[in-house]
Amino acid sequence: MTLDRERPYWLEGIDLPDTPSQDEDIEPWDETKVVGKPLPRVDAYERVSGSAVYSADVVLPRMLYAAILRCPYPHAEVKSVDTGAAEKLPGVRAVLSAFSPEDAATRPHSEFIRERLFNTHCRYEGETVAAVAAETPYDAWDAVRAIEVEYERLPFVSDEREALEPDAPLVHDAGNRVAEPSTYERGDVEAGFAQADVVLEQEYRSECEIHTPMEPHGAVAKWDGDQLTVWESTQGVFNVQSGVASALGMQFSKVRVIGHYMGGGFGSKLSSGKYTVIAALLAKKTARPVKCVLTREETFLAVGNRPPSNMRLKAGVKRDGTLTAMQFWGTGTGGAYRAGGTSLLDWLVRDLYTCPNAKTETTDIYINAGPARPFRAPGHPQCAWALEQMMDALAVEIGMDPIELRLKNIPAYSQAREGNPPYTTTGLKECLEEGARSFGWTEARERSSAASADGPMRRGVGVASCLWPYGMGSPPATAIVKLYSDGTVNLNTGAADIGTGTKTVLAMVVAEELGVDPGEVQIENADTGTTQFAGASGGSMTVPSEAPTVRAAAIDVKHQLLELAAEEMNVAVSTLYLKDGKVQSTADPEVEREPSSLRSLGRRRMLTGVGHRAPNPAGKVVNPFAAQFCEVEVNIRTGEVNVLRFLGAHDSGRVMSLLTYKNQVVGGITMGIGFGMTEARVLDGDQTGKMVNKNWHDYKLPTALDVPPEVECVPVDPGDREANNTGAKGIGEPATIPTAAAVANAVFHATGVRMTGTPINPSRLVEALAAQRGE
Amino acid sequence: MTDDPKAPGRKGVSRRGFLTSVGTGALSAVAASRIEAEPTERAELLEGEELSKVTLILNGRSRQLLVEPRWSLAHVLREELGLTGTKVGCDRGECGACTVLVNDVPRYACLMLAVEAEGARIETVEGLMEGEKLGHTQQAFVEKDALQCGYCTSGQIMAVDGMLRSSPNPSLDEIRQGVSGNLCRCGAYAHIFAAAERAAELKREGGAS
Amino acid sequence: MLPKFSYVRPTSLDEALTHLSSDGAKPHAGGSDLLGCMRDGVFEARKVVSLSALQELKGIRQAGGGGLRIGALTTVAEVASNSLVRERYSALAQAAAEVASPQLRNQGTIGGNLCQKPRCWYYRGEFHCLRKGGDTCYALAGENQFHCVLGGSRCYIVHPSDTAPALVALQASIRIDRRGDSRVVPLEDFFVPPSTDVQRETVLEPNEIVTEILLPGPARGLRSSYRKVRDRGAWDFALAGVALALEFNGGRVAGGRVVLSGAAPVPWRSREVEQVIAGKALDAATCGAAARAAMADAQTLRRNGYKVPLFEAVIEEELTNIGV
Repeated sequence: MTLDRERPYWLEGIDLPDTPSQDEDIEPWDETKVVGKPLPRVDAYERVSGSAVYSADVVLPRMLYAAILRCPYPHAEVKSVDTGAAEKLPGVRAVLSAFSPEDAATRPHSEFIRERLFNTHCRYEGETVAAVAAETPYDAWDAVRAIEVEYERLPFVSDEREALEPDAPLVHDAGNRVAEPSTYERGDVEAGFAQADVVLEQEYRSECEIHTPMEPHGAVAKWDGDQLTVWESTQGVFNVQSGVASALGMQFSKVRVIGHYMGGGFGSKLSSGKYTVIAALLAKKTARPVKCVLTREETFLAVGNRPPSNMRLKAGVKRDGTLTAMQFWGTGTGGAYRAGGTSLLDWLVRDLYTCPNAKTETTDIYINAGPARPFRAPGHPQCAWALEQMMDALAVEIGMDPIELRLKNIPAYSQAREGNPPYTTTGLKECLEEGARSFGWTEARERSSAASADGPMRRGVGVASCLWPYGMGSPPATAIVKLYSDGTVNLNTGAADIGTGTKTVLAMVVAEELGVDPGEVQIENADTGTTQFAGASGGSMTVPSEAPTVRAAAIDVKHQLLELAAEEMNVAVSTLYLKDGKVQSTADPEVEREPSSLRSLGRRRMLTGVGHRAPNPAGKVVNPFAAQFCEVEVNIRTGEVNVLRFLGAHDSGRVMSLLTYKNQVVGGITMGIGFGMTEARVLDGDQTGKMVNKNWHDYKLPTALDVPPEVECVPVDPGDREANNTGAKGIGEPATIPTAAAVANAVFHATGVRMTGTPINPSRLVEALAAQRGE
Repeated sequence: MTDDPKAPGRKGVSRRGFLTSVGTGALSAVAASRIEAEPTERAELLEGEELSKVTLILNGRSRQLLVEPRWSLAHVLREELGLTGTKVGCDRGECGACTVLVNDVPRYACLMLAVEAEGARIETVEGLMEGEKLGHTQQAFVEKDALQCGYCTSGQIMAVDGMLRSSPNPSLDEIRQGVSGNLCRCGAYAHIFAAAERAAELKREGGAS
Repeated sequence: MLPKFSYVRPTSLDEALTHLSSDGAKPHAGGSDLLGCMRDGVFEARKVVSLSALQELKGIRQAGGGGLRIGALTTVAEVASNSLVRERYSALAQAAAEVASPQLRNQGTIGGNLCQKPRCWYYRGEFHCLRKGGDTCYALAGENQFHCVLGGSRCYIVHPSDTAPALVALQASIRIDRRGDSRVVPLEDFFVPPSTDVQRETVLEPNEIVTEILLPGPARGLRSSYRKVRDRGAWDFALAGVALALEFNGGRVAGGRVVLSGAAPVPWRSREVEQVIAGKALDAATCGAAARAAMADAQTLRRNGYKVPLFEAVIEEELTNIGV
C-alpha cells in the first residue's frame, strides 16, 4: 500500500469530482479574533433542546417502518424464504427477499464491499435475508418473526488465527487469504539488529472493537415519482448519493440525500448501507415513505468494526537510544469480505520514529464474521498498542526514560513515503516536552516508583505517541458564502457535522473574515440537493479540507463587497478593507460603512462568494502528531485499574475552535480507554460462530465511572504556514491512537506486568499478576 | 386493509375509557390508605390486539392517546407524539439515550411500557424549555460543550436534571454516579461532569428551571 | 421489539394473584428484566400482570426485634438510600448501590432483583440451551469467562443479583404469596441450583410472587459489607463479589455468614470461609487461609480460571477490611 496519493484507502473507487484550485494564494492568519476562541457550538441549541431532527427522528405522513431479517448463522445457504404468513399479518405492507421479483434485490450493491443486497450465500451472521415494511415497528418485527427461511448451514471459521490452516472451512472458494501478504522494506533489518545493543521481540494482540455510535445506522426514504429523497445518518451525503444511485441504477440528480444531524459514525457511516437501499425499495413498493433504522443488535453484527489484530514486533536499539531496526508481522481480518482487515496496520512502525531499517508484512484473512469498516484511525490504535509498548520496553532495557527515547528518534521527514518528503511541521517533540511538563511526568514517575509500599495499591505513569498519516485534508471541496444586503451571512457546505464541531469551526472562519458573529451565520449543510460538494467527514480531514475552502469563499465575497463599495464610494478598491464587519479605508480613518448601507448591495440583494480547496503543498507531507500521558492506580491483587488522569498533547496545527478541539481530545481518550480496557467482540467460535455479546450490556463501552474525571488538553501549534490557508490539521483520529498504549505502559510501570493483549480488564490482569507472583 | 394505523377496523379500541388510575404520580402519597379503605375496582384486561386509551401528564399537560400494551413509552413519545428529543439508542435499557423523568425520577423510556405511565408525570427534554429559552441544565451543556454528536445528550441532560432535583449540590463522585447510566460513545464525559456542576450552579443562582 | 401480549394492572394483591394463576401470565414489577427477556425471546408472556399499582407492596417498615420489612416492590434505589438500611445493613445498602445503573435502580424492585433471570449470554441469546429446554449448556465448551466456578452442574450460570448475596448473608427471609396462601421462606432456601432443577432459578411457582423481604434485627456486634469486582463502573454484574455479615465479639468472629456473588448458579454461601474464621481474629494469616479455603473446591472452566485468584483476593481484602 502506498500513501503517495492524497486520497485515503476508504475513498478509493468512489468518484469524486476535481474542483478548480483557488486562483489566489491565501496566507494563514497571523492573529485571529474569533478562530481559536472557546466559543459555544453554533448548533448547540438544537442539540440540547431536542429540536435537532436526526435521521432516526424523521416522522413523515403515512410513513411505514422497516425491519430486516438477518441470517442467524455465520455461514449458510438460504434455500427458500416463505413470506406468506408474514404478509398476512396486520399492518404488513410489503416484504422483500432474494426471491422477490425486484431486480435490485439481487443486484450488486456497494457498501465498501460489493455484494448482493439480499445474499443467499450468507458468509456472516447478520447478512440480510429479507425485509418488511409495516405500519408500526412492532408490526414489522411480528412479520420478521413470521418469515420462514430454510437454511443449509455450512462449516465456518471464526478466528483469523485458525483460518489459514489447511483444513479450515473456506469463506470464499479461492481461499481465506484475501491477497498475498503486503510487504514493505527499507534498509537492511538484519544488519540493523546486528548493530543494536538490545533487541526485543514481542507478540501483541488487539481485540475486535465495534463502532456502535449512539444513533443506530438507518435511513428514511421517500419517493416523489422517480425522485428519491433519503434522510440518512451519515458522515457523507455525497457518498450515500452515489451508493444509492449505483445500487438502484439511478442518476445522481434523482437522488437527494439529507444528513443534517447524525448521531455518531466513527467511520462506520462513510457510505450508504444496505438499509438505505432496502428503505428505498420498500418505499417504492408501497408508494409510502419508509423508515429503516437498525436495532442495536444489528449494528453489532453488520455495519462494521475495527478488525482484531495479531502483531509481532522485533526492534533493536543502541544504548544511546538510537533505533537501529524494526520488523513487524501483522495479521488481521476484515471479516467475510475484503474490507481492510490490515489496512494501515504497520504504518506507525514504518514512519513514526527515525529508523533506517524497517521491514513489515501484513496478511489480511477472511473469516465468517461481519465486514469491517474504517474505524477512527484504521490500523493505528492497534499498531500503537504494539509499537508504543515496545518503545516502553526498550527504554526499560537500556535504562532510559521512555520520553527521552522517543525524543531521540523524532522524524523530520516521512521515511516510508516515496522520496522521503519532509513534513510541513512535526510537533512531536513539543508534544512530548510540553505534555510531560504539564503532566508533571518526572515527579509523577518518581512518586510512583516510591509508592510500592505495603498494601495492594500501586501507581504508575505511561506515555505513548503517534502520528496520523492523513489529517491534511484535500480537494475536492467547494463552499459558498452568501452576503445578504442586510450584512448577514449564509454558509453553504456539503460537509456533515458528525459531532466534531465542523459547523462551528466553519462559522468561526466566516466570522473571522467577515466580522460577523459566528452564531449568526446561517448554515446549510449536508444535503446533496442544495449544498456544495464536500468529502465525507472522516480521516480527520474535514476541518483541514473545509476550513480553507470556506475561508476562500469568505474572502471571495469580501472582495466583491469591497469592489462594490469602492465603486459606490468612488475610491480605489486597494484602499478599502473590511474590519469588524465594516468597510474601512486606509486613506481615511473616518470612513466606515456598514455593508447594509451600500445601495448597490441593496439592489443586488446578495453577493455570492465561491471557495475551492487548493491542492496540498507539493512534495511535502502534512500530518498531525501527538503524545498522551496517563497515571493509573492498580490493585495488584484484584487486577482493578483506576485511570486517575490523562493528558493529551496534540499538534493538530492551529486550534480552530478551542472547546470542540478539547472535546475531541476528551472523546478520543475515552474511546481509547474502551479499546484498551473494556471492549471486545466475543464470537462463540468453538460451537456456533455466533456473536454472544451483541448488545451494550455484554459488549462493554466505558461509562462515566471508567474515565478519569478530568482530561487535560495541551494544544501544540507549530504555526504551520504550508499546510493550508488556515494552518489547521486534523484532531479526531490522533486523539485516540496512543491512548490504550499509554494505559498499558502505565500498568506496566505500576505492576511490572506487560499486558500485550487488549482489553486490560480485571479478569486478564488478575491472571497475569498471579502468574507474576508464580501462582 | 386500510393504510391508516388508527382507522377503525384495523385494531379494536378498548371498550373502556381509561386504565384504572390509582396510586401513581401525585396521587401516590395518599393512595395507600385509600386503596385499603375502598373496595377495589377490578382492573380491565387490555387485549394485545387492541388500542387502549392511556393518559399521561406529559411536560405538564394531560395527554390522552391510544396505545398497544406492548408499546414502549419511548416509541409513543417519538413516533406517536413527535417528541423526538427523546432518543432511542438500544431499546433495551443499556444506553440511557431515552432517559426521561417519571415523577421527577430518571428512567429509561425504552424499558417502560406506555401503559405503565398511566397517570404519571413524564418530562422530556422538550419539557425543560421555557418557551424558546433553554433550561438551566441545557444551558450548562452548551457552556461546557458537554456534547458531540448530540444523540445521547437529551438523556444525559435528563439524568443530570433528575439528579439535581434530589441532590442539588452534588459532589463530583455523585455526578459521575448520576450519569453512569448514560453512555456517550463520543466520550464527552469529562465535559458532562463540568456541565452538571455548572447546571447545579445555574439552578442555585436562577431558581427553578 | 416486543411481541404482543395482553396487560392488566390490578389494584389489589388478590386480584393480581388471580390473574397470575392463568396460563402464560407473568408478573411485571419494575419491568426491566421481564421486558428484556420478552424482547430477547427468552420466554413468552401471553399476559403481563403489572404489580405497579399495589401500594401495599412498596416501602420499608420497622419490624419487631429491630428488624425491617421491605416490600417487594420497593425500588432498588430506595433500598440503597434508605437510612435504616444504611445504618443497620450496610451490606444490603452497598449491594443495592452496585446494581446496574441509576435509572435501572429507580425502576427495578428488590423483589425483581431476587427473581431476575440469569444473565448468561447463551441463555439470553438465540441459543436453545438446557435451561430453556434444549439439550446443551453452551457455556461448558464455549465462551465461559463469566460462568461459575462453584456449584455448576449441567448448567454453569452465575446468579446475577447483588442484593441476593447480601440478603442471604444478613439471614433474610421472604414472604411468598399465591392466591389464598402465604408462606415465609429463608432466602437461602429460595434459590434452586441446577443440580436440583436446571430449568428454574427459585422455588417460586408460576402463580406466586415474592411480596416482602424480612430482615431480622442486627445481631450484637454485626458488621456487614458487600464488595464487587466488575469490568466497568456501571451496568455490570459481578466478576467476583463477596457479602459479609459477621458478628464480632471481643475482636473475634462470633458468627455470621459469607456469601459469594459471581461464583455459582445461586448466591453461594461459603461455609469453608465461615469455618476458617469462626472464633478467630481476622489477622492476615486467617484472612489468607479463609480466602484459599473459599476456592478449594473451585472447578474452573476453560476461560474462567481467573476467578480463583480474583475471589481469593477479594475475599481476603474484604475480610481484612471488615476486621479492622
